[in-house]
Amino acid sequence: MFSRLTYTLRETFAGFKRNVTLTAAAIITSAVSLLIFGLTLLIQHGFDNLLQRWEGGVEMIVFVSAGTQQDGLDFISSTLQDQVNTGTVASFEYCDVTCSLADADRVLAGDPTTRQLLDETNIPTLFKIVPAESTEVEFLRGLKESYQQLPSVNSVTLAEEQLDLIGKLQGFVSTYTTGLWIALMFASGLLIWNTIRTAMFARRREIEVMKLVGATDWFIRVPFMLEGLIQGLLGGVAAVGSMLFINWRWTQGVQDFPDSSGMTALVVIDGYQWTVAIIILAFGALVGMIGSGIAASRFLDV
Amino acid sequence: MIRLENVTKSYSTEVVALRDASFDIAKGEFVFLVGPSGSGKSTMLRLLNREERPERGAVWVAGRNIIDMPPSRVPHLRRNIGNIFQDYKLLSNKTVFENVAFAQEVIGKPKHVIRQQVPAVLDLVGLAGKEDRFPHQLSGGEQQRVSVARAFVNRPLILIADEPTGNLDPTTGEGIMRLLDRINKTGTTVVMATHDQRIVNTMRKRVIQLDRGVIVRDQARGVYE
Repeated sequence: MFSRLTYTLRETFAGFKRNVTLTAAAIITSAVSLLIFGLTLLIQHGFDNLLQRWEGGVEMIVFVSAGTQQDGLDFISSTLQDQVNTGTVASFEYCDVTCSLADADRVLAGDPTTRQLLDETNIPTLFKIVPAESTEVEFLRGLKESYQQLPSVNSVTLAEEQLDLIGKLQGFVSTYTTGLWIALMFASGLLIWNTIRTAMFARRREIEVMKLVGATDWFIRVPFMLEGLIQGLLGGVAAVGSMLFINWRWTQGVQDFPDSSGMTALVVIDGYQWTVAIIILAFGALVGMIGSGIAASRFLDV
Repeated sequence: MIRLENVTKSYSTEVVALRDASFDIAKGEFVFLVGPSGSGKSTMLRLLNREERPERGAVWVAGRNIIDMPPSRVPHLRRNIGNIFQDYKLLSNKTVFENVAFAQEVIGKPKHVIRQQVPAVLDLVGLAGKEDRFPHQLSGGEQQRVSVARAFVNRPLILIADEPTGNLDPTTGEGIMRLLDRINKTGTTVVMATHDQRIVNTMRKRVIQLDRGVIVRDQARGVYE
């Protein structure tokens, strides 16, 4: 068992030395594709932060002035209930101080300075409004105007005002970056496959002898698979390092954006980046191992 | 030990390598396969290794019909068969010791066993003291001795030799044949394909002659003809 392990590790290391340039190319390509994959996940998570308050069909948010008393809230509630009764609003939900602070945590994630200024005494609470399916956008715009006139209402935001740009950005990220990392991951898989194929071709005589003296296919295959796995893993490590650096730089830089831009929500500081790091490492190792495993099986008859 | 029953093997509709070939080889026999190039000698050896499978017939090795053997069992079959080649098939980046040890390493023999058995077999083939040399530092005869040592180090039941003296001068070839004869006397069955008339006539072992895939002669203590 120990001698097999020693043999496997020795052969894996020898494979790296034998094929330095091709190995480096495979590692760099997998690093770039895994980096784009990781950044795609982080950006999606950032968008989720931004869009979370609009989940569940919410189309309008009525921000209530800080310090509004219960009778002011009851008045807004009863006005909204009237719209429910007439069938233009499907439902509404009040987000109290605790809920609004949690919302601010997400929306101002990239701007801790502004977030620190908000507390239980000055945070504007909000009503989330889900209009009926048949309600026209024009009617919603009219409602917005009328709600802004209500006492205790600080401001009213329509989803379309924020979602239009965000939706376009998110669509861009989803389509192009996902397409890009899939294409690059495929290229990296092919490069790893080619590295292993070249290594096996270079060692075809050795493999022939191994087979004739009774080595099993798995015995021959495992060092190659390990080589591919390590290539993928090294690409993953480089990608994780780059991703964490870029995320750190972005988190620093986003503080300079105005709050109204919405960009302050587009950060990942809740530990999700570590989950992505693990996914990247596992994915890199898996692609490397599968790519090399297929190549090793394909060329075991050399 | 080896039995072929009505074996037919073809590579295309025009090229029939073996046609309805049958024979038995008992344990401990030494058999020469003779015949012109393309007569089917190498195909027969490849069938014994399960490198090829026939269209028809059965190939029995050590009591098992290896035609129906699942691929996962083939490595275990090959551990009972040693192979010697005309071109030695040594690994140029490995020393003599490593080339021989390789045959044990890849089947998972522990290091202490390798350290004990490899020097013993190198001593048997007359290469004691040359363990650290690389193949290019050896003569053709010495390289073939390494190949024999590699084939024999796992003490196989059968030794298959495909033209082992083909690249050697007559004197060196005789040395290799003496070595194979010694190995045969330990009880190992030896099947050797050759063109070397002088060796066959000198050794006077069983001769199976092939011509265009057909066994035309099977003679105990035969000569080349």
